Amino acid sequence: MDNGTSNSASENETITLKSCDGIEFHIDARIANRYTLLNNWNGGESACIPNVNGKVLEKVLEWCEHHINDPQLNCGDDDSRRRNTIIEEWDENFLSCDQDMLFEIILAANYLEIKPLLDLGCKTVANMMKSKSPEEIRSAFNIDNDYTPEEEEQFRKENEWAEDY
Amino acid sequence: MITLPNECLFEILNNLKGYRKSLFSCLLTNRQWCRTAVPILWNDLDISTNSKLVRTCLLVLNAEERAQLIQFNIIFTNDSKPLFEYVSYATTIKINSDYGIKNWLSNESNCLSHCSLVNVIQAIKCSLIVMILRTNEKLKSLSIYGKQGNLSTRILDKFKNMISLDFKELKTLIVALHNNSTLTELNLSV
Repeated sequence: MDNGTSNSASENETITLKSCDGIEFHIDARIANRYTLLNNWNGGESACIPNVNGKVLEKVLEWCEHHINDPQLNCGDDDSRRRNTIIEEWDENFLSCDQDMLFEIILAANYLEIKPLLDLGCKTVANMMKSKSPEEIRSAFNIDNDYTPEEEEQFRKENEWAEDY
Repeated sequence: MITLPNECLFEILNNLKGYRKSLFSCLLTNRQWCRTAVPILWNDLDISTNSKLVRTCLLVLNAEERAQLIQFNIIFTNDSKPLFEYVSYATTIKINSDYGIKNWLSNESNCLSHCSLVNVIQAIKCSLIVMILRTNEKLKSLSIYGKQGNLSTRILDKFKNMISLDFKELKTLIVALHNNSTLTELNLSV
């Protein structure tokens, strides 16, 4: 870096990211600038990403590269972002991976503070839950039912009003 | 299989705001999901027509609020305490008609022959409002049909930060305008 600041990366500048399992990726420095991808990046030519493995980091970076020219979202605009439930075709294809990978992407996006990717992943999972019964959700997401039968029955009674809308 | 932390689960379930049936399914899957889904499901309440919602809200009444209903033969058993303080999560509450309360009454086999239906409904509504006043700290929007009697001033005193208010009583409106500095919406459909 010429001037040592992280805000002035030009198109041709690249930095090297290293996943937690030691796989290196050469990425456009604008990606690192745009998302607070690298909290501990000091503007140098490489950085380590603990907690995210190479397979997942590759996917995350693929998404970041595709969206590099997207307009920046206003941070205070949480609700309008959420209400927009339309998922672009490219994103839909991108996230039609196996469920473990989808969850890994959500975790990584949360950890790396890539809000638009986190929202996208969460929206995708939410869509998978629509019009499913509790049993179907449990088996789809491999969730253990830790309710006692009495407790489950009481929760059902207290909240079954929700079915009448 | 990966377990998502609560913050991610909240982000996911928050996308289902308004999809009440889906949230209902989610809260029945397990305890972690329940703790996350309940505040989202109960955020926006319309008690106007849903008798099952009236039933659960009445479970939240404390002994004092229940005592007001004993004279109408409405008696709750002691073991009926709800698992959450559900109403505390609401930021929007509507009671725009008596239909839900009326329906709840006709579903319960309470003996009401000796008192007028109007009085019973009014008493239940008042108890519900007192309970809302007691349990809720974050109401932003409230819409109540009919008279609230001396409760109006208490409602406005407690929820000074309310941004939307829909009352039918003129006196209440005057008090509202006098006391509230955050109101941005006022419905005057008298």
